[in-house]
Formats: sequence, C-alpha cells, structure tokens
Amino acid sequence: MNLTTEQQSILDGSKGEYLAKCMRWLVQWGDVMGAEGLIKCDNTHALLPVPNLMARNASDDTMRSYMADLKQACEHRTAEGCYCTLHAAFVTFEDVDVPENDPEQVAMQKELADLAANAGFIPTFTCAPYLVGNVPVRGEVCAWTESSAVVYANTILGARTTRHGTESAIAASLLGLVPEYGVLLDENRKGSLRVEVTANLTHPTDWGALGYFAGKEAGLGIPVFNGCRRPSQDEAKQLCAALATSGGVTMAHIVGVTPEARTLEDAFQDEVPEETILFDNETLRAQYESLRQITGDEIDACILGCPHASIRELAEIAHLLKGKKVADGVRLWVDTARGTKGNADAMGYTKIIEDAGGTILTETCPTNMRIPAKRIITHGFKQAHYSRGMIECESIIAKTDACVRSAVAGKWLGD
Amino acid sequence: MPDNIDIRGKGVVGGKASGEALVADATLSFWGEVDAVTGKIIAVGHPLEGESLKDRVLVIRSTKGSSGTPMILNLAKLEGNAPVAFVNVEVDSLAALGCIVNEIPMLSKLESDPFAVVSTGDQVEVDADAGVMRISKISP
Repeated sequence: MNLTTEQQSILDGSKGEYLAKCMRWLVQWGDVMGAEGLIKCDNTHALLPVPNLMARNASDDTMRSYMADLKQACEHRTAEGCYCTLHAAFVTFEDVDVPENDPEQVAMQKELADLAANAGFIPTFTCAPYLVGNVPVRGEVCAWTESSAVVYANTILGARTTRHGTESAIAASLLGLVPEYGVLLDENRKGSLRVEVTANLTHPTDWGALGYFAGKEAGLGIPVFNGCRRPSQDEAKQLCAALATSGGVTMAHIVGVTPEARTLEDAFQDEVPEETILFDNETLRAQYESLRQITGDEIDACILGCPHASIRELAEIAHLLKGKKVADGVRLWVDTARGTKGNADAMGYTKIIEDAGGTILTETCPTNMRIPAKRIITHGFKQAHYSRGMIECESIIAKTDACVRSAVAGKWLGD
Repeated sequence: MPDNIDIRGKGVVGGKASGEALVADATLSFWGEVDAVTGKIIAVGHPLEGESLKDRVLVIRSTKGSSGTPMILNLAKLEGNAPVAFVNVEVDSLAALGCIVNEIPMLSKLESDPFAVVSTGDQVEVDADAGVMRISKISP
C-alpha cells in the first residue's frame, strides 16, 4: 500500500507503540484485501466488551491479557471529528436477577465504559447504532462492527463500510483511517445475484426470511432484490440481520430503495444478469420451517429485539402485552439500547411490559449473555439461527404477535 | 497415490505451521458457531459439529458473516485453542484480520480443489510465506 509520510511515521512509532500497532493492523489488512491506500474515516462502531460467559472457565491470564488490550485502546483519544459509537456488550447494566450477569464482569464492563467515554467513544452498547443517532449519510466512509448493521449502513443508508472486527474498528476510531477496498469503492458495490421477489411480505420477520434465503444463496456476494415494495425501518433491520446470518453478505440492493439503485440497471451497474432466483410464497414458508425444528410445544423464553428493538417495536410489544401476563416458567426479554429504553420509559411502554412479567434488557441480549433456555421463540432470524448453538436450545421463528401470544400461553400456538 | 501431495496457493497472512487437518467443504462463523474456551465447533448440524479447532489446520471454503471472528479467535488463541493455520478457498476479510492480529498463517487462492485431496486427520504443513501446503495422507 502507498502510505503518506505521516501514516508511515505513525507506523514507525512516532505516536507511540499502540498506535503503531493499530497502523500495522490496518496496513497489513489493507495489503491482504488489495487496498492501494488508507482513506479518511468519519464514523465508527466499535466493540469494547468484556467476554462474560464466552470466557467461562477461561484462565486468569487470558482475562488479564484480554482486558489489558482494551484498556490500552482507551488510553488514546478517538480521531478528531470521528463519530464513534459502541457495539452491544455481553453483560447488562440493568439490575436483573440472573446469575449469568456476573457482577465481576459487570464491574469490569462499567470500568471499560467509563474509560471508553473518556477516550471519545459514545457508550451506546447496541447492535443497531442507526436507531440511536449514528446515521451516516450517503457515501460516508465508516468502520462498523456488527455485520447486520454493516449491511444496513450500505444497503439502506448508502453509507460505505466493510465488515470490521474488534481490532480494525478500534484502529479506525483512533487513527480516523481505513484501508480503501471492497464496498468503499464504486466498482465493488455492483450486484452479483438477482432475486425476484414475488412473495407477499407482510411483517418484519417475513423480510428476515427473505434475507435468510438470499444470504445462503449469495455467500460473500451482493444480492439485488427486485419486485418488492419499500420496507419499513424495522423490516429493513430484519432483512439486513438475516442476510449477514446465513451468508457473508456486506451489502445488498433493494431496487428503488437503496440510494444508488434507483433501477435494476443501477444495481448491476448496467450488466443485468439473465439468471434470476425466485423468492415466492413457498420459499418464504420454507425459511420459517427451517428454523422450527422442535421436539415439543412448551417454550421457556421469548426473545424480542434482535437486532435491538426500535421504539416502534417496543410500542407494538407493549400493545400486545397490555393487560396480559407472561406464562409462569417463560422469560420474555425485549432487548434494546439504553437510549431507546429512555424513550420507552417516558412513553409508558416499559411499565406495561414489566407489569406483564417481561424484562427490558439493555446493552446486550440474553443469547450474548448465554442465559440458558430449552426452547425459545423469537421474531429475529439471526436470534433463531445462532441461539441453537450459543445456548443449545431449540428455536422457533415467528412474527411478533405470534411470539407474544405463545409467551402468554407458555407454548407454541402456531402462526 | 504418492505419500505427500503439494497444493500451491497464495499466502494471505505469512508464517509456517503444521498440524492435523480439519476439513469440510463448508463455511464457518467463529461468532456463534465456535466456543473459544473449549475450542469446539458448536454449530448444530454443521459438518464439523463437535470437532476441536485446537492445533488443527482448518481447511474450509471460507469463514462467514461475523465481525466477532477476530475476537473469538483472540480468546481461543489466549486459551491455546486456536487453529494453527487457515486454508480457505475464499478469503473472508474478518478471518484475514483475525489471522493478522493473532499471527496465524493463512493460505488461499489454491491451484487445485483441496477438498478432493485433503481429509480430516491428514497431517498438513502450511508454508504461507512460500505459498504451499504439503499433505501427508493418513491412509493410502
């Protein structure tokens, strides 16, 4: 890669050992990915989490070494003018009665949150930064972690970010630079797979089904959705999360919605393929069936807000739960960002959900926390997919109203 | 079939390592599908479900999906459970980052189909600096 004199001097240690290491990560990564240089980055979404139960039984040495790295990052300032938010954590700061919320790890995460705030990171602790103020404009160069948010930024907002990991997002936040490759360049934003949508998509979870299907088909490519209507923000959120779950998708085009894809020709940069795959009502149903492999009807957890719930989803959930009670033995979780919960408190949604026996969980989600369950119901394809391995449960994917009805009944009642 | 078979490729992240191959013509997400502390693949229904990554040469199509990859790889490495080398048909940028940060050699852009040659249990030497993997078959 070609480096400027200043970039080279940082690499050589002019700003200290840690920033030299950050520069080395970006330069080496850029070389591997075929970047010609580093470009200015104005917006990051980084990961600074304690691992909590992911490191259950990990040695003290592992934990010390892991924490030392993150603390070292926070001894520096985020780059001037760079908007830096933080990704979801693996503990909650809420006072919840679950042993998985290890008080020692919570204390460590709070310490990290304070250090991060001093460094200039906004402690949003969410997987959906675009719901709490981090909304880049079209063309803005970003460095985001959280694959679902990356797909959202590229596809819905027309911003530009490759998929980042912990170290690259920290490096980008502190240096204000990213290697220029992949979807940061026009030519790499060209569609690779044409998906004709004839299915009747009526709810955010249906859009999740579309993403789950297309992610499998597209792999690391760029699917183009043609023939569907404009999704709502919540529908777009489910689509993007599912695309990044079943595949390694970084962006998609929705013809007529994605800012740079007014037409099919735009999406494919004038080389529209003949070959198409079809997403019809039968394919839609098959996606639901693929995440309903269950051996019984009883459920013990209902997980809503994957990715983190918007205020409108909290309104819907409160409306569905008003005057009802979640069945004994079922834990109903609604995961959201602290900022969104503040609004839910003011709107009275929090009280309705809590009165019904539900819990609003901020900073994290129960699967990130590894709260065990035998059989969960959820409206998020991402949650339904990963929870099976992460908390070794059976999962049922269903629309929000069916999830809530089942949580009240204590068992899967069907659509 | 000769005892040793070489497949040439391109070193993505430099270094040399050898170990027992863990092979599947499949994708894998380190986030959600790997337990860093046990080093095991926990993805339900995955062809490598239950297998340990510890000291293995991981021969798969690509990693997929998750920005959590380098973090899980970091924890696995600190715990001594990381693969010793990656041989991936396609390069997922997050696996490349994870290998850079954790100093794990990675080989890609192979000249022939590795799944036709290498099987789980074979001994594999990866030299990502020279861009080659040498496979010693466990059985003729």
